[in-house]
Amino acid sequence: MVDKIKVEDLSCYYGKKCVLESLNISVVQNEILSIIGPSNSGKTTFLRTLNRMSDLDSIYSRRGDVYLDSASVFDMDMEELRKRIGMLFAMPISFPMSIYENIVYAPKRLGLIFKKSEQDALVEQSLKDAFLWNEVKDRLKSSAMKMSGGQQQRLCIARILAINPEVILFDEPCSGLDPISTARVEESMVELKRKYTIVLVTNNVKQASRVSDRTAFFLMGKIIEIDTTDKLFVSPKKKQTEDYITGRFG
Amino acid sequence: MRKIIDTMIEKVIFLCGMLSVIFVILIFSFLFIESFAFFRGFNIIKFIAGRYWYPDSEPVSFGIFSLLVGSFLVTLGACLIAVPLSVMTALYISEVVSKNVRDILKSLVELMAAIPSVVIGFIGMIVLVPCVRKLFNIPTGLTAFSGSVMLAFMAIPTIVTISEDAIRSVPRQYKEGALALGATKWQTIRRIVLKTARPGIIAAVMLGIGRVIGETMTVMMVTGNSSRIPHSIFEPVRTMTAVIAAEIGETVSGSMHYKALFSIGLVLFLITFIINFAAELFLGKNKNK
Repeated sequence: MVDKIKVEDLSCYYGKKCVLESLNISVVQNEILSIIGPSNSGKTTFLRTLNRMSDLDSIYSRRGDVYLDSASVFDMDMEELRKRIGMLFAMPISFPMSIYENIVYAPKRLGLIFKKSEQDALVEQSLKDAFLWNEVKDRLKSSAMKMSGGQQQRLCIARILAINPEVILFDEPCSGLDPISTARVEESMVELKRKYTIVLVTNNVKQASRVSDRTAFFLMGKIIEIDTTDKLFVSPKKKQTEDYITGRFG
Repeated sequence: MRKIIDTMIEKVIFLCGMLSVIFVILIFSFLFIESFAFFRGFNIIKFIAGRYWYPDSEPVSFGIFSLLVGSFLVTLGACLIAVPLSVMTALYISEVVSKNVRDILKSLVELMAAIPSVVIGFIGMIVLVPCVRKLFNIPTGLTAFSGSVMLAFMAIPTIVTISEDAIRSVPRQYKEGALALGATKWQTIRRIVLKTARPGIIAAVMLGIGRVIGETMTVMMVTGNSSRIPHSIFEPVRTMTAVIAAEIGETVSGSMHYKALFSIGLVLFLITFIINFAAELFLGKNKNK
């Protein structure tokens, strides 16, 4: 059990409003940690703090520290950090270019690949890992915008895999997808766990129970409970957790 | 009764809509008829390729090649100055500055568009022309270059405003997606933002060019109005618009000179029509992609 990410006494603010309050949590290497909770509980803010996407927001501020392999992410170079911690958003955002270009975009910018043969190999490997290769291998040059939502989301996964991160953050990755596409994305998540550490924010409690090793329940910017998924769902210690997972509120 | 009003309003709206189309057709046919009469008396090849515009001398010569070159030079120069400047201004306004500064900057740029062209020409004459003469040590500051600079001023607000809108309408998620993959801000702007906003930026540039090519007052005041073929942008030129504006008042209605000016109008019309058409084609192509 190696801690990949360690969060120490983290508080986040938007303007004067406190959205996360003295958070202490760690993410273990090669696990899927789910974060569940009603909206406004600070789940997404937490996720976006890990790879410092929140820093883009001018009214955002924070206290506390986040360590990735015992180095503080706030001291790291922003681009380097985001190369190590990839992020998948709620809406599939394929760039307005071909499927092929979508995948090689970031590795090229980061200077990870140079030769055409390397690019081809990378595209094939990433698409295979994201369970998309068979569906698109004959139309790599066509626009990514023409794919279905589920395919686009898996393309986004492939795009992240292409930069070979250590941690992948999933921000409600299936909220806009149909059940079949959702199953595909979940399938790939479980598969990816072998190589990567995954943090999954989800509004879908059942999804958390299906894929994750541990689950944390957030409420109003605080962690109410965190435990292995089996325990949390079968015998939650707190009343609020039980109410939420059984659907009595939120 | 209600039905009658309904049909009537429908008819009125239809008529208003058709009116603009009719006007364009009328203007075009008017230009075409006058030009056609002119080309029966004067060879069209000589008109386009002729080097000399001597409408009053004997024998007359209506060659507009020097005017075409003049218009082309001034427009090209204006584009070279205005396009990079405007796109970067638009990027700065939409991507870099805070919201408060953005609002101020944007309204200032829009205010630039409200300056009458004669005022711009006037400032060009008083300020820019002497500067150009001294700076480059040439006999006169009334050059194609001066015209380009002043016209760039007029094109900038149009290009900035429209391309800023295009850049700002790039979905936030695209930028975040690229940033989340470790791209730097500049890489994101160049590869994602500019690429996505490209159709809008091109439309903005086309509109800017349209404004520049048809501009008359400013160029008349600062380009020197000499209808010779220039050897560099630091020589006086004369544009097609300036010729029409300067000479239409002095010609006898129905004379060859009069008709020649209409033919120049037709050429201008065709050029702007082609530019708009090209822009339209390009935008359409991009949309389907």
